[in-house]
Amino acid sequence: MGTFKGQVAIVGIGEVPTGRFPERSAIYCAVKAAQLAIADAGLHKDDIDTVIPTTALYNAKFNTDLVTGRIVEELGLRVRNNLQLFAGGATSAIMLKVAAGLISTGVSDAILFVHADKLGSGVSGQEGIDLFSTAGISKEWEVPYGLHYSAVAGLITQRTMYETATTAEQLASVCVSNRKWAQLNPLAMFRKPLSIEKVLNSKILSSPLHAYESNMLADGGAAFIVTSAQRARTLSERPAYLLGEGSRVTHFALSQEPDMTRFGYAAAAADAYAMAGLSPADIDLAELYDSYPIFQLIALEELGLCARGEAGSFVLAGHTWPGGKLPMTTNGGMLSQGHTGAGGGISILIEAARQLMGKAGERQVPNARFAIETATGGTYVDAHVTLLGNEIP
Amino acid sequence: MPAKPLPPTDPWTEPYWTAARQGKLLIQRCKTCHHYVFYPRLVCPHCGADALAWVEATGKGVIYTYSVVTNNPPSAFMADLPFVIAVVQLAEGVRMMANIVDCDSAALHCDMPVEVTFEARSDEITLPQFRPQR
Ligand SMILES: [Zn+2]
Repeated sequence: MGTFKGQVAIVGIGEVPTGRFPERSAIYCAVKAAQLAIADAGLHKDDIDTVIPTTALYNAKFNTDLVTGRIVEELGLRVRNNLQLFAGGATSAIMLKVAAGLISTGVSDAILFVHADKLGSGVSGQEGIDLFSTAGISKEWEVPYGLHYSAVAGLITQRTMYETATTAEQLASVCVSNRKWAQLNPLAMFRKPLSIEKVLNSKILSSPLHAYESNMLADGGAAFIVTSAQRARTLSERPAYLLGEGSRVTHFALSQEPDMTRFGYAAAAADAYAMAGLSPADIDLAELYDSYPIFQLIALEELGLCARGEAGSFVLAGHTWPGGKLPMTTNGGMLSQGHTGAGGGISILIEAARQLMGKAGERQVPNARFAIETATGGTYVDAHVTLLGNEIP
Repeated sequence: MPAKPLPPTDPWTEPYWTAARQGKLLIQRCKTCHHYVFYPRLVCPHCGADALAWVEATGKGVIYTYSVVTNNPPSAFMADLPFVIAVVQLAEGVRMMANIVDCDSAALHCDMPVEVTFEARSDEITLPQFRPQR
């Protein structure tokens, strides 16, 4: 495996508020987020030579517009390449790898990545459930049994509670941790205080999963710009360098996952740490993909940030909250910022860059140097681990 | 309410569905590396050989994990609430998704012994399902 350590960096980020905005079109979100990212990078639109939109799930026709260059034309870009890149929830991690490949080989110099979707107001609640009861779920072997994403989370949570003695209170505390961060995030969908009692008193969707432990589909748009480390240094005092990455794909059909309490995170993290020359003790920020609280607990343990079975008590003790020793998912995650499709993971990646660049405002984690980030798609088919830093160790 | 979904079958999975209609649970076994395989494949996912044979499973297994669905299911399953979805590990070692039927959902637990039973969903399609071992 090659190394991308310190070769490329995120130099600009842009994001529009996440939530339900029936009057706000998806192309508006795409254009605004891109414009913000270009300005944040201190670049001119003509500096972008490649634009890579990801897939919008709410409307296939709008998505085809993105594939065929609508963002290029709306923004008046002068690019050599427009292409779509999509790996479900893992899109963010794949984007960074592709950026590193294209930039280190000289194919591209400045790449604009864009996401926009309208899953909050563009589809009804039941349409959203039905969309996600077939997306990434085996039509022959699992759809006939009524598998859907709440049940996916229920199955994984149940087995993990059985093997590790993780408690319902600990799982609820993950939602509270995310909400405490979202209260400091003006772009988040849910910003009212949330308590463990409120989570545990909400209805069960698919046992042991409570309603407040389920993400909410939302409208949103996000963009970021990646360029070479050399150029990044001329644009920004503190760019977010890509330091390491690792990944494993472990299943397609959920029933075929060998270990639903671990997935591929440990091996992916080992690769990422080795590439970066970092260890869990160096990590200042854990920007972990949520969608459901169990995945943050599994990641904390498998990434070596907590011992097996101890992530739940770690979160319950408040260590991941604002002011805690290991700030986690500091935009509020999909549980509180909202789930915009492929954008859920992109927002978490952008948050990691925002913190490292010192642009996180009220929720800025002081002196954050190194962040670890996770991403995963479908029924948690792949485990991606990315290490970013505002210095190259 | 839409009808409950039927599996789109493939030519190489037809023996599985034909057997299910007759109340038998078939899985595959590789003639080269001898691993059991589920779901039915074109090639062995362990060694890559093109030599998968059908064998009848014991139909016994344990619940690897389960979830009792009580709210927000796919539209076609609204009338079934509450229902149990589970990953069952067969005695042969392979795992499959199924519903746990004829059970007290409060008594379920991981690693609970279960056995196969069959649900005729249409004239053509019978789904293997599982219930607590008696
Ligand atoms: Zn074989």
